[in-house]
Amino acid sequence: MFDKLFNSYFCKVIFTGLLATTLLASTQLNAKGVYQSGPDFVSEAFAPHQPQPKVLWLTGPVRQQAEKILGHKAQGLRVRYHQYGDKTAWILNEIGKEMPITIGVVIDQHRISSVKILAYRESRGGEVRYPAYVAQYRGASLNDKHKLDRSIDGITGATLSVWAVNKVAALALYYHSQVTDQSESTN
Amino acid sequence: MKSKNPAKTNIIWHRRLGLSVFMVLIFLAISGFALNHSPALKLSKINLSNSWLLSWYGLEKPLIQGFQLDNKWFYEGGNNLLYLDSEMIAPCAAPLLSAVSNSQFIAALCSDALILLTKEGQLLESFSQLDGLPADAKAISTADNNLYLLTDSAVLEFDPDSFALTASSSDAPLPPIAEPLPLPKSLEQQLENTGPSISLETVILDLHSGRFFGGLGVLFMDIIGLLICILSITGLMAWIGRLRQIKQ
Repeated sequence: MFDKLFNSYFCKVIFTGLLATTLLASTQLNAKGVYQSGPDFVSEAFAPHQPQPKVLWLTGPVRQQAEKILGHKAQGLRVRYHQYGDKTAWILNEIGKEMPITIGVVIDQHRISSVKILAYRESRGGEVRYPAYVAQYRGASLNDKHKLDRSIDGITGATLSVWAVNKVAALALYYHSQVTDQSESTN
Repeated sequence: MKSKNPAKTNIIWHRRLGLSVFMVLIFLAISGFALNHSPALKLSKINLSNSWLLSWYGLEKPLIQGFQLDNKWFYEGGNNLLYLDSEMIAPCAAPLLSAVSNSQFIAALCSDALILLTKEGQLLESFSQLDGLPADAKAISTADNNLYLLTDSAVLEFDPDSFALTASSSDAPLPPIAEPLPLPKSLEQQLENTGPSISLETVILDLHSGRFFGGLGVLFMDIIGLLICILSITGLMAWIGRLRQIKQ
């Protein structure tokens, strides 16, 4: 009787389902990883063009506003970016819970064109790298209070990582406004 | 033959058990209370780095060495952070492989990034493996204000402005690579609070569960748990017996 039960179609379906769930869970648990290098991200953002890197110095009011957006001290005296026309690409780090998340942000005409998680080092919360999540940032811009002009749906269990991506998205938009406003005023 | 009174035997064993476990029971109550209120007491923020405790947990304090540049000490403090004298400057995955200084900047090569600092020691930027730093980079050197990166197979010239790495065109030999040196005593004393540590919360949790003493500790706590159960039952039986006596 038991042999029949274990060899039944129903039992096989249950077993396959459990195996698939375990495999899916294990891939979600191993969220750590490097998904794209900085040069590859920039090449993809500007293809077929290859803009040279530029530097934004974090001094005076720029640093003050950056620290206001981040909610803590900004690291480094300068930030590297790439620009072609009105489009800029930024690779910034922000700590999620304990480890820095490396996030690439492309901005076109003061609106986010794409957000990509390049490296995730925390053990949990890596769901922020999924395309369905980062797609929410597409088209976002900064409001007068230097915050994103739209609300981003969070992810259960990845709250700190979501906050980190939100901060970096807002910071990249602010940096973009600084470098494009400078170039517009000099033209 | 002397007949045994079950109620009396019960009380005797209740007393014996109570006497055996009361110290552990008090400890479990206090440690449980502390763990329940761990966030409020900030137990996870209190780090213990006592060398005996570290060795008990199988951790060792790393030997911290550094580089002396422009009369300042640069070192990785055993916690993946780069220090300039006693001030933390930037994240730096251990070990700190190399550090050089020229008239324009100071550079430090950690295992995952090349860190550029101003002459005053302020962080300019980091050039990580994600940005294109070769994984086999093992040292840095400077000559004529140019910065050179030494890998297992090549000497590369690094442009700190464009972050470009090109094959070195110079035939002149590079100055000898500086070796890390032991830190002065004054800095070593300050480093007592850095390096590996164990939170007080972890220690209390391990003591509470018995894991602190390994498998035998867990078994001991299991036995204590069992004795507490028996203590409760004998206590209840004594109370019921007393009620019956009063009714009679």
